[in-house]
Amino acid sequence: MREEKYIRCPYCESVNESKGDIVYCRNCKNRISGKKEINLQNAWALLIAAMLFYLIANLNPILVVVKFGVLSESTIMEGVVSLWEEGNYPIAAIIFIASIFVPLLKFILILYILINYKKPTGGSRRVDQAKLYHITEVIGPWSMIDIFVVAILTGIVHMHNVKIVAGVGATAFVLMVLLTMLSAMSIDIRLIKEGKDGD
Amino acid sequence: MSDSLDELIICSKCHKLHRRVKLPHKKVAKCSHCGNILYSSVADTMQKAIAFAITALTLFIIVNIFPILKVTIASEQTNLIVPEMVYIMFENGFIVIGSMLLIVVLLAPFIVLLSFITLGVLSYLKIYKHFARKIILFLIISRQWAMVDIFTISILVALVKLFGYAEIHFGVAFYALLLFVIVDIFFLKTIRPTELWIYFDRKYSDRKYSKGS
Ligand SMILES: [Zn+2]
Ligand SMILES: [Zn+2]
Repeated sequence: MREEKYIRCPYCESVNESKGDIVYCRNCKNRISGKKEINLQNAWALLIAAMLFYLIANLNPILVVVKFGVLSESTIMEGVVSLWEEGNYPIAAIIFIASIFVPLLKFILILYILINYKKPTGGSRRVDQAKLYHITEVIGPWSMIDIFVVAILTGIVHMHNVKIVAGVGATAFVLMVLLTMLSAMSIDIRLIKEGKDGD
Repeated sequence: MSDSLDELIICSKCHKLHRRVKLPHKKVAKCSHCGNILYSSVADTMQKAIAFAITALTLFIIVNIFPILKVTIASEQTNLIVPEMVYIMFENGFIVIGSMLLIVVLLAPFIVLLSFITLGVLSYLKIYKHFARKIILFLIISRQWAMVDIFTISILVALVKLFGYAEIHFGVAFYALLLFVIVDIFFLKTIRPTELWIYFDRKYSDRKYSKGS
């Protein structure tokens, strides 16, 4: 059984033959692999857009507190710092990892895959890459924590004198997560899988 | 659909190719390369999943009707009710965040539970084979979008932020939510797509499932 001949559908897990430029899953009919050049272009475009939104999300407030008509805004990083200063170290760490570190890690990984896909990679490095990719896929949704926190606070604090609303940064953050997901999806598995070795 | 490709499985972690074998009761199949669990025997796990989906649906309805938190800030009291929270987002003009919340904490989890239950009923009666297949696909896609567990952790983080400013009481929905997450993590999230397909093959074929060489 030569492994390169087969491709796993990321949607329904069924095994497909990797024949031709475009592969549609025989089970769920999703496109699992397209023309590589187009996939690469899409992945790059989506990744760059996602990184832009990451910047916007981090430079703009995600949380706005309106107290007696006075606004006080805070960015993700300011939120982390104030949690830290109040002594909530574990939660400050969770928010930092989930909102700042994980998206960055995902960017770096996608960049790494996109840059290296043409170079021959050894068998073991290919496995590492697939594993790392798998890990970021699993922890990816956790970067939504801070957005959920903002939504929960908005849902609670809507009094006469005190009100919490989301900031521009929160919307940018959601879009960033969405774009990163789309970018990762368009790096099809064949880009990670196909090294020029043939073990 | 009963071609030889159905007998194969590729590891999701390391992409190694394996041949599917029929498993004895309560056994798991592991990847020979990285040790990742590929699938486990499905006979009773799926029955359990379907039964627990009904429990989870009841809990989920409670979660969404009753307040999760009752909060008093400066002698004003408010409740945190999930659908209301989503509504407030839309009302404040945050359409992107509102839509995201609507999908990941309301629609997707609800669809997942309904799919499990419908699949259980259809496969028990052995009817609508084609539709049952569609439901499995639908279930697999929608459950990637269900983020109730992450949302629950976020509630705890939000509590920390409110601590000191507010008087907080937990509502019925909070306990229902905790139970829901436990049921979800232990009985529903553990079901792998491959196991759904094995279950499907078994329920809808007259012959006994005896593939593998
Ligand atoms: Zn598929
Ligand atoms: Zn493996």
